[in-house]
Amino acid sequence: MSAAEVWITIVLMTVVTVATRTVMLVFGDRIPLPERVQHALRFAPACALTALIAPELLTEQGAWAISLANAKLIAGAIAIAVMLSTRSMIATMGIGMAAYLALRHFG
Amino acid sequence: MTGRRLFGHQPHIAQARRDAWLDGLRVVAPALIALFAWGLVTGVAMVKSGLTQWQALGMSLLLFAGSAQLAALPLIAADAPIWVVLLTTAVVNLRFVIFTAGLYPYFRHLPLPRRMLLGYFTGDVSFALSVSRWTTQPLPEHGSRERTWFYLGICSGTWVVWQVSSVAGIFLGGGIPGTWGLDFVAILALLALVLPMIAGGPTIAGALVAGVVAVLAAGAPLKLGLVVAVLAGISVAMAVDILLERMDRHR
Repeated sequence: MSAAEVWITIVLMTVVTVATRTVMLVFGDRIPLPERVQHALRFAPACALTALIAPELLTEQGAWAISLANAKLIAGAIAIAVMLSTRSMIATMGIGMAAYLALRHFG
Repeated sequence: MTGRRLFGHQPHIAQARRDAWLDGLRVVAPALIALFAWGLVTGVAMVKSGLTQWQALGMSLLLFAGSAQLAALPLIAADAPIWVVLLTTAVVNLRFVIFTAGLYPYFRHLPLPRRMLLGYFTGDVSFALSVSRWTTQPLPEHGSRERTWFYLGICSGTWVVWQVSSVAGIFLGGGIPGTWGLDFVAILALLALVLPMIAGGPTIAGALVAGVVAVLAAGAPLKLGLVVAVLAGISVAMAVDILLERMDRHR
């Protein structure tokens, strides 16, 4: 992207973000959300973030890379274990990053 | 006096507002440490992904939305079309529609510009801390002033800490060599963010499908694999949701 395109993207992202945060506060009484829609909206962020993360951990140069040689996959698995057991974001990022650097350095 | 300008001229109202605001700050304080680390990571990730320091500052100050920012970075770096970046932003931010729908009853009486301002400042932390408090300790009907200022207290804490840590990350990030692999911190941050969201059958199924489809479609042009993966994930999650509901009814 050119510099101008990046700025346009940032401004439009702001518009989208403000819209998602204000639409219900502006039209609260006029938009009753059906329960089905509420459920669908609740699933969306988890699906989107997983879809972003999965290729980063599971592929290298566009191909499946499920092996012990894939430092990101192993460090990611360690980070998942840390998050599930400690619920601490800082510990997850710290230990995950330390594992990644160690695996790349010594692996 | 700035105190008067902030809280108003009538002493007893000003006192009530200040107390509620401080109460909000007190409640949010423990969460601010994690938020600081998260902002720092986002700041570093923005400049490491190729944004200039000015672009990163603009993004942080305007968006105030960590997960949307982190989600957009790899797409911007990969030269994805703007509409794909915007769609991703919208999907990642969809939870705010639910959050603010939950907040609406508490802010219904406020004039439109104030409702919009409170909406702008709404994040994961402010929503979680305020609604959980209000549902466990319902305030009397006249307590709307306290609610608003309590919420403002939380939001002012999150906003200031987020911006300070992001700016620190933006200026520190430039001095950190790319070979350190710090872009991976952003992935770890997203991981830590998404794991608590993946609870319950429908979400687990949806996230699994979204992840697998995203990998299979990673080579698709225009980063469209992401869009397909999210749609597939939501569809499967809804299908499982309906299925579980039916099974419940038959029991």
